[in-house]
Amino acid sequence: MIPEEVGKTAAQCRHYAMCKIDFLGTGLCPSGRVKHYVSYYPQGRMDICDGLARGLIPVTEGLVDIVGTCTLCGICDKQCHFVTGLRPLKVMRSLKEFIAAYIAAGQEVKIVDSDPVLESLREIVGHEWASNDPAILLTYSNDPFPLADMQMPRYVVLPRTGDQIVRLVHLANGRGIPYVVRGNGGSVFGFVFTDGIVIDVNRMKSIDIDRDNWVAVVEPGVTSFELQQEVAKLGFRVNAAEPAATVCGNIVCTGMFSTWSNAYGVGADNFVNMEFVDRQGGLFHLNEKTAPNIFAFTNEGSPSPGICTKAYVRMHPAIDDEEGLLVPFSSFSGAVSFARDLSRRRIGSAIGVLGGHYLSTFISPSAELAERVRSCLTEALGIEYAVFIVADRYARETIKGMAGTIIDNRLFRMLMLGLPHLNEDGWLDLIRDLENEEQPYEILLREEMYPVIETVLSPSPETLAQAVDHDLKDFYSSLYARPEMTDLLWLNAFRIVSSRMARHKHVFVFVAYVPLARLDIIEHIAAELKAIADRYAISNDFGFLTPLDLGKRAILEYDYYIDHTDRSEGVKIGKALGEVEPMFDRLSATTKGVRWLKYVFGQGSSRKESFLYT
Amino acid sequence: MAGKKIVMRASPQAIEEKRRTRGSAILVTGGTGLIGSHLVAKLCRTGYRVIAIARPNKQMTGQERINRLLDWFGLDSPARSRIEILEGHLDDPDLGLDSTRYRQLAEDIDEIVHCASDTSFSERKRAQVEKANVANLENVLELASRSTCCFFHHISTAYAAGKNGGRPCKEDLVETGAFTNVYEETKHRAEWIATKRCASEGIRLNIYRPSIVHGDSKTGRTIRFNALYYPIRTILFFKNLYEKDIVTNSGRNAEKMGVYIDRDGIIHLPIRVKVAAFGGINLIPVDYFVEAFMAIMEDCLEGGIFHIVNTRTRPIEEIIDYVRRLFRVAGIRVVPCEDRANLPRNGLEVLFDHYIRVYEPYIRDTRIFENSRAEAILKKRNIACPEFDYDAFSKCMQYAVDVDWGTRL
Ligand SMILES: NC(=O)c1ccc[n+]([C@@H]2O[C@H](COP(=O)([O-])OP(=O)(O)OC[C@H]3O[C@@H](n4cnc5c(N)ncnc54)[C@H](OP(=O)(O)O)[C@@H]3O)[C@@H](O)[C@H]2O)c1
Ligand code: SF4
Repeated sequence: MIPEEVGKTAAQCRHYAMCKIDFLGTGLCPSGRVKHYVSYYPQGRMDICDGLARGLIPVTEGLVDIVGTCTLCGICDKQCHFVTGLRPLKVMRSLKEFIAAYIAAGQEVKIVDSDPVLESLREIVGHEWASNDPAILLTYSNDPFPLADMQMPRYVVLPRTGDQIVRLVHLANGRGIPYVVRGNGGSVFGFVFTDGIVIDVNRMKSIDIDRDNWVAVVEPGVTSFELQQEVAKLGFRVNAAEPAATVCGNIVCTGMFSTWSNAYGVGADNFVNMEFVDRQGGLFHLNEKTAPNIFAFTNEGSPSPGICTKAYVRMHPAIDDEEGLLVPFSSFSGAVSFARDLSRRRIGSAIGVLGGHYLSTFISPSAELAERVRSCLTEALGIEYAVFIVADRYARETIKGMAGTIIDNRLFRMLMLGLPHLNEDGWLDLIRDLENEEQPYEILLREEMYPVIETVLSPSPETLAQAVDHDLKDFYSSLYARPEMTDLLWLNAFRIVSSRMARHKHVFVFVAYVPLARLDIIEHIAAELKAIADRYAISNDFGFLTPLDLGKRAILEYDYYIDHTDRSEGVKIGKALGEVEPMFDRLSATTKGVRWLKYVFGQGSSRKESFLYT
Repeated sequence: MAGKKIVMRASPQAIEEKRRTRGSAILVTGGTGLIGSHLVAKLCRTGYRVIAIARPNKQMTGQERINRLLDWFGLDSPARSRIEILEGHLDDPDLGLDSTRYRQLAEDIDEIVHCASDTSFSERKRAQVEKANVANLENVLELASRSTCCFFHHISTAYAAGKNGGRPCKEDLVETGAFTNVYEETKHRAEWIATKRCASEGIRLNIYRPSIVHGDSKTGRTIRFNALYYPIRTILFFKNLYEKDIVTNSGRNAEKMGVYIDRDGIIHLPIRVKVAAFGGINLIPVDYFVEAFMAIMEDCLEGGIFHIVNTRTRPIEEIIDYVRRLFRVAGIRVVPCEDRANLPRNGLEVLFDHYIRVYEPYIRDTRIFENSRAEAILKKRNIACPEFDYDAFSKCMQYAVDVDWGTRL
């Protein structure tokens, strides 16, 4: 038996696939690195444990192998805790104990028979890289999206080359078997399920850099994190999405957007060419004259043009003296107007407006601390929003002149490493109670106050590590001793902390393109999304906003938070969606510049002009 | 209305008689505040029937808040039995009461003591301060006019006179004025509004104008730790912070800030307080205010305006000296505003600069408050404002430290 507590932890896996990238420098799960199936990564093992606890799968040969390859090294415990606060190691231990007891009791280990289709698949990719074992299939059957049901595929196959993908498509078409492509095993939108073949591109991980053309050519298994890491070594940068998301998958699905989109754009701005295998199994490049026109856009969603087998991603120069900084605001309108002003004046490269939840969650290594930090920021200091900016030294001076109060990286580092002492001895209350015309943060964050702040906070990796479980303290101390962990620029380029936004609950995101000059519309959308969520008692919050194209447009994200293991929350989301959808439809029909991301799905490689200005 | 003779709702004799027989019911607003709570306790200890209207906060209902304060006052049950607590607020004309309760209240009350007020000075809180000090007063006056109330006691402030162009501030309404902040301005407007409305309704009006109120002169007890208390609390915070740094961190941060402990164990905080050259703080203890209020209320049945102030202001240097003696903190010194050698400022000074910017008009106050009308009544009863000397200062600050500036109340 899997203990109930363990089963519950396993069911909480958010499927962000962060355990599939080495974002903390701990190394990767050793078995996942070699075996590539998501089933061999911690994420898959969590699903398998959940499946066993719920009696969804038998004990198979594959399952025994998967469990056997876990070395209990504990890497997943650190990685997962960093992002979600979960401790998967106990799940891994329970799985091992369960299988050991099962085998000791002489119970049956099921051997799953092969079949002709599987044999054909194996012929294409090699024996090891195609499977029909339920323990493997299960890990490709489900995600935390509350409105999609589980769907078991018949086969999972891991090609290594574009040519193998061509052959797989021919085979599937020839046999009339549906197929889907999975980028990284990470999935949160319930889109990538089939009862046919799942093509997992995790083995296709090559990155070729063409410096002269400022292009990185990536295969579909390459994640944003891996690409950013590779190009950063050479002094470049790319517009990267969530770190564990695959670059190709992202471009094809929603298009790449991030705070860098202010400078680097969205949609087709981010690549110079793409290679696809179309639905008939034909290979084409976008730059060929005969290629289908995927730069166009229709406002009703459209299927992707095929399987992306290569993306030629634009690289941009990284400047030595760039740094990240934050400008705090007490009002949404103040923050949005400031971000717009920067964008239209071309000051700064990455720009984003963050809400209090994001800010406190990103910087805090535990949910409990995040909550305390949030109330300190908002209630004591009056910081409801912050504009995040990456700027070179000239732009930083300008921003300081424009904003008055800024949190530069030095102060940010101090605050972050001293977070557990943020309201030491009621110190922030002292600032708050200072009767003044200025907001409390405007007083606290002045440069003259830095020495005082330093004394109050005693910032150090050890101080910050006070916020985590006792047995993780040493790990966090050494982690936060690394300068990049408190470097706003690095954190933004690699985005390893933004996946923390769903630490307390699974996140259901609403993203829309909006006209940035129409603050009224932006506020209206946020207010409507809030009102709808409140009506269904769904916890919700503003996410972020990034200006685009010289402040003409912006991307707005608003988040709903749900417990994805609770069916009733799924029902609530379903009802809420029933109201959100017409709201966006109405707005996009009547207001220029409003586009709900739902309709961009599958058209992520369109030109931004065709969906932002039509 | 011009020329129309307003008949007062009750004669002084009738008011006196009602009070003597303890027949009157007095509605008190702002009973969760410093002055309001003291008046609630005093009025019912004296034998009056008190109705306190209070709103909830995040943790407690209005009832619970007032009851906790009554515990703090150690009020006995006979006195408590004379208090009725109404869950309500002043934001709407109905005061948050249903129509039946509102009507009952209107039929019940004889007098109103209006203490509720927003005492913030910040311009950025203007809307909130105007709402509390003007619009909410109008809601209370509306109740007064629709009720059997015959006497309105309005708690104002000596500073409702505003800057007053250097003239002595009289115990009269001030015609026009320039104001230091939104608080003064709204308190000034409130006096006019109350005066006009009470006059037109035949309700007698007393306006009480205290200066700055601090804890009890004998015990130091109080429930508010702003104004005078804030800079002392800040100094003690820094004292503790740097003492800890010196003990646990070899004083590395203290040294950077120029903080040290001398051979006599006195900690030196380098704080230059930039203020004008002249003037002092006008401080009165809360027990004196309460006594004065009761005396004036009982004595003046016609209505009037009264300054409840200290005739001797305290220079800030004296208070700094008290801090040094009581808390063994030195290094704080007053420097003239224009002294260019003041710059640059360190972090401790930045906080003080912000504080001084707001409180300077009260710290270096040169306003003279005439108080002959109040004095005439208080002298008769031997009520005099106690000195704010080292002893009084110590009691107040000791109490503040004991209750950790209110967190342990
Ligand atoms: N303390 C002084 O040094 C001093 C000096 C001169 C004059 N005064 C005057 O004395 C009066 C009382 O001051 P205080 O020192 O007792 O102030 P306080 O301790 O801050 O208390 C203020 C009271 O007013 C209530 N109040 C504030 N805003 C309100 C609103 N919007 N609606 C309803 N009630 C509201 C508060 O209720 P909650 O607790 O629910 O917020 C509290 O009961 C004021 O008129 C003030 O101008 C005080
Ligand atoms: S403990 Fe097991 S599952 Fe976790 S990282 Fe190590 S090998 Fe992978």
